[in-house]
Amino acid sequence: MFLLGAISRQTKGIIFYHRNFIQNERLKRENNFLKHKLNNAQEAYLENERLSKLLAFKKNTPYKVVAARVIGRSADNWSSLVIIDKGKHEGIREGFVAINYLGLVGRVSYASDFTSKITLINDLNLGISAIVQRSRQEGLISGTLGNFLIMRYLPKDADIKATDLIISSGLTERYPKGLIIGSVVSVGEEFGGLSHYAMVKPAVNLSNLEEVLVIIP
Amino acid sequence: MKQKIIFFIIVNIAALLQTTVLNSFKIFNVKPDIILISIVLGSLSFELSWAIGFSIFAGILKDVFSLNAFGINTILFPIWSFLIIRLSKKITLDNGFICAASVAVITVVNNIFIKLINFYLGNTINISIFLPTLFLECLYTALVLPLVFKVVNPLIQSRE
Repeated sequence: MFLLGAISRQTKGIIFYHRNFIQNERLKRENNFLKHKLNNAQEAYLENERLSKLLAFKKNTPYKVVAARVIGRSADNWSSLVIIDKGKHEGIREGFVAINYLGLVGRVSYASDFTSKITLINDLNLGISAIVQRSRQEGLISGTLGNFLIMRYLPKDADIKATDLIISSGLTERYPKGLIIGSVVSVGEEFGGLSHYAMVKPAVNLSNLEEVLVIIP
Repeated sequence: MKQKIIFFIIVNIAALLQTTVLNSFKIFNVKPDIILISIVLGSLSFELSWAIGFSIFAGILKDVFSLNAFGINTILFPIWSFLIIRLSKKITLDNGFICAASVAVITVVNNIFIKLINFYLGNTINISIFLPTLFLECLYTALVLPLVFKVVNPLIQSRE
């Protein structure tokens, strides 16, 4: 019986070869189409997640904010900036602070009518006065162009350790107090031994930024 | 004329890719400079006036999308274009390795000039960040050059 079934299957395969071939091609096309749709649905879901978090943050934040999408990044390797799709028409001006629901993103360095450039916090030339949330130790956060920030000018007896949360101190113009900057990864001694520094991991993943909120004072 | 129009579009596409897609191909936060590659290609493919023109345009595009003082690349790129044309008259740049080495040298010199100009303007870049980034950028750009040439050369060298 088994042998008869196998022979029957093989015979049908030969007889209906052309029909099976056409059906196979059609099913492959349908499969590709469905994969594409699934991918689009996945993208829409992820975007929905991000925008929901952003909206929830926008509703609960005490600041007046304008939401914007990131449409481009710096053309060179010496500056860390993003270009957003909102500008002077939406009330954005130079010097305004950019955040998202995770923390501080950067500062508007240039605003045209419909777009703006935001210097990210890991840019070399952006310095922000910050404090350790736990011990209130002050320091200056600056960028390294990479995935980490560096908090400098910490005295030798500074009360700071790994996993400490770093927030803005409010001393730098336009940066409200209490914005989350990142968390300490390691503490080291500066060359010369006179002060310490801390490597800080930004709260916001700056390489994956897709939407930001610009604070309108 | 057709090749010049095609190359103009290619420069625009290079700038677009530089600010969007290439960010996904960063290695240690460094991406290749395909705008610079495009001006090298333009300098090897067109006569002096057109090559300088394309370089100025590419420099403007790069300045628009960067935080440097506007005009740095607009001034530097035509200079490199001129030097490449002069160099191509002395040595052959058809060889892929020599061309890649030339691009690596131009990348290094270009970035050193940018660092010096930024230093003069008060924007310092720590040497411990500058040197590794410089080295990686020149290597990455030189490695990407043959790929870009392979794609773009047939479009601008054909049908004359």
